[in-house]
Amino acid sequence: MNPSISAEEDLADVTRVLAGDVQAFEGIVRRWQGPLVNMAWRYCRDRGRAEDLAQEAFLRAWRGLAGWRRESSFSTWFFALAANVFRSELKRFPAVNLPLDAIAEPSTPAVQLNTLSKKLSNEAVRRSVLSLPLRYREPVILFYFHEMDLSRAAATMRLPEGTMKARLSRARALLRRRFPHLEAEHQEMEFAALNQGKEA
Amino acid sequence: MNQNKANREETDQSKVDAILATEEELIPSSGFLGNVMENIRNEAAAPPPIPFPWKRAIPGILLAGGVFAWSAVVLFRYGLPPVSGIPLIQPQHLAALERPIEETGWVALALGISLLSWLLSHRLAGRSGLL
Repeated sequence: MNPSISAEEDLADVTRVLAGDVQAFEGIVRRWQGPLVNMAWRYCRDRGRAEDLAQEAFLRAWRGLAGWRRESSFSTWFFALAANVFRSELKRFPAVNLPLDAIAEPSTPAVQLNTLSKKLSNEAVRRSVLSLPLRYREPVILFYFHEMDLSRAAATMRLPEGTMKARLSRARALLRRRFPHLEAEHQEMEFAALNQGKEA
Repeated sequence: MNQNKANREETDQSKVDAILATEEELIPSSGFLGNVMENIRNEAAAPPPIPFPWKRAIPGILLAGGVFAWSAVVLFRYGLPPVSGIPLIQPQHLAALERPIEETGWVALALGISLLSWLLSHRLAGRSGLL
């Protein structure tokens, strides 16, 4: 998606909606439904719930459209609003998730060669994000949702970049501690590299 | 040793990055757009929310405030026990305050009574269809 075109289209649609054209909101929904459902999915990892959350966020955006002051881009305002909605909705009805220690470590290095196991293992890492304490969970969700763009993630959370960076680092440390197989794989790679060096 | 640990953490981090950054893209269900727009249209067609009836509430709030102030005055005058022999206010200050406080109390009481009578007459007039 070309962000400048989207920004122009967003601005045009918002102006029309504020002038009373309800139908113009469809353009906004059409453009943002994909990103918003995916963002909600990362918050709860439940497809049905993700759509409900996204729908609620669109409704709140509709109600609060006049509150967008146009100092930031529409997407920044919209994602921040959506993050607020997801956070408060999930506080009211939390997503079903396991405590970090209860998530099974599905891997032995041999089984890891199997693609399915690898997929399951990766999914376990992704799901484990939901088990992080909230202050670390959200930075991780938003950082990867925004394709590792720290400033956009910080803007969505309305947090300084430094705070965001610190929380991310702590979250990664927690994940690494929970999934020692990542370390085991690393050791294997190191060993293989060492052997290759010797042969050469 | 430290360099080794740093390298390992970096690799682990890039592994976590790789896993968390490669998320399968969800496509919203076919009815999603329609559902959202239906909700939006319903919301747009709904009558605006009824504003809070400040005109009706203000007399009640004033009355409650008056009663509260009056109670505070009464409590202050008669209800506060001395704390282990140390008076809260010096006697000369208390004497100076006593008269204005008493007057304020009477004013608050008068205001409250007139408010009550106004409310009562308003209600009676409303019932008989005069308003």
